[in-house]
Amino acid sequence: MIAVWRRETNATAAIAARDITKSLKNPTLLIVSLIMPLLFMGILGGSLNQNMAGGLGFNFLQFMMIGMIVNSTFTGLITGMSSLIEERDQNLTQELFVSPISRYSIIIGKMIGSSFTSLIGLIGILIVAAVMGIPLGGWHIVYVFLLTPLFCLVGGSLGILFIGIVNDSKTADIGSMMLIMPQMFLAGALTPIQHSTGILAFLAKLMRMTYCIDLARAVFYAGTPMYDQIVLNSPALNLTVMAAIFVLFTVVGTMLFVRSDKNR
Amino acid sequence: MESVIEVNQLVKKYRKAEKPAVDGISFEVGKGEFFALLGPNGAGKTTTISILTTTLTKTSGSVRIAGWDIEKDAAQVRRNVGIIFQNPSLDLDLTAEENIRLHASIYGVFPYRPLYRMMPAAYRKRVEELAEVVGLRDNLFRKTRGFSGGMKRKLEIMRSLIHKPQILFLDEPTQGLDASARQSIWAYLKQLRQEENLTVFLTTHYLEEAEEADRVCMVTGGRIAVLGTPDKIKRQLAGPERIMLGSEELESLKSELDGLGVAYEQQQDTLAVFPGQRSAQQIVSGIRTPLSRLDIRQPTLEEAYLSLIQGGEAV
Repeated sequence: MIAVWRRETNATAAIAARDITKSLKNPTLLIVSLIMPLLFMGILGGSLNQNMAGGLGFNFLQFMMIGMIVNSTFTGLITGMSSLIEERDQNLTQELFVSPISRYSIIIGKMIGSSFTSLIGLIGILIVAAVMGIPLGGWHIVYVFLLTPLFCLVGGSLGILFIGIVNDSKTADIGSMMLIMPQMFLAGALTPIQHSTGILAFLAKLMRMTYCIDLARAVFYAGTPMYDQIVLNSPALNLTVMAAIFVLFTVVGTMLFVRSDKNR
Repeated sequence: MESVIEVNQLVKKYRKAEKPAVDGISFEVGKGEFFALLGPNGAGKTTTISILTTTLTKTSGSVRIAGWDIEKDAAQVRRNVGIIFQNPSLDLDLTAEENIRLHASIYGVFPYRPLYRMMPAAYRKRVEELAEVVGLRDNLFRKTRGFSGGMKRKLEIMRSLIHKPQILFLDEPTQGLDASARQSIWAYLKQLRQEENLTVFLTTHYLEEAEEADRVCMVTGGRIAVLGTPDKIKRQLAGPERIMLGSEELESLKSELDGLGVAYEQQQDTLAVFPGQRSAQQIVSGIRTPLSRLDIRQPTLEEAYLSLIQGGEAV
């Protein structure tokens, strides 16, 4: 038998590896990871770029690529965490929930596993960007990729809070889309939101992904003339909001999820 | 006998439910005992087993498993039990071995490694031994999606034993399996009980599976209706052993039985004789009328159970 802290780490690794193994065995996932960027960046982005992005003063497709990178990690994490509900309904997680490990280990393991899956999606974005001739920005894109674990944590914590509130897989399927779509449109993943006012500006501030996307763009555009035109908040503010969201949502979400599972 | 399961005045009332699903039940199970919890649908069996295995909170009462309180020491309880759920809980996208490796790692029995060949030798030895016993050795590295119901159940049993639990909870373990798969699973479980002195806690709809239990507890409406050895329960609810006698000369047979002073009742062309304190040998040796039928009919748990749910005797 191994010591308690090692047991929890070991369990977390095993749970994460389960999702990673499943991702690697799933050809559909690899196909979807190429189709989604093709749809959003290739078709939607291409059309917007040709018809509406003329006077922006920066490369719209490059701007959108950064938004898509963050959006892809968020979507992957929220969908991945929501699958815990589906697995619970199909009795697959009973095995995990009767094991002698902390519920936090289960959730964190699931978050790491889902992060890997969402990172596969990023490869699709890079392939589509390369095919479309979008400039990748040299080392700046590497820095953005180094930040993706942070985006995964924030997206995952939102997913945890979601599964703590939602109790069945049908609601989870619909609810996760309701959670993902407003984030995508309001947080500036696809279009600039610098000039949003009124209710749209207010809602953009409420979206957790807004702060992640803004941090990613701050890193990507650091030292360029476009920085002031594109970045909304200081990186310190973005990081503070992201840390607060992660801690609060993870703790509250895990408590709610475990309670909803046991206290029927 | 040392108790490994102690249940005292256990109550569970689900939210919005009018009546409790489990209504003040108490019992103990000894180490190495084979204990069967039986009852009709909605009697509270799965609720009870879910509380005992820490997947559901109780409303009131106390439960100790292997000496640990199920709420205060849930992790210790989980470490000491193996569970076969009513619905299979295997990950069908993983191979049989990957399912076992996940279990072994989350129970902290072996450190996780991404490949089977990288796992410790002790793990590989245990997996191969168990796979040999349940007959899954050739399918260890196949995806479980293609497994038959019996193979999945065997894999779940194998998985539940990898951390060497003291108590094995089986919630309808053979549901949906054919007779041959059921028989092979029970043969395997019997072997395990003998080799590892496992305590087995069973809920089942197949009452013949509970015939070999050391004790049986029948529940109805969330309460214990009867608790005791299968023989005691069968005698109590289904009546005594009967000797079934048939003859071409039924009247002559009746007068001989009257002469012997034994009770009987006629069932068409057969006489059901209640031997009372006498043995079947004593009765049959006193009969001179030629017999066309002779068999000894033991009451079954199924008869006892039917008697109970049809409003028969209850304790």
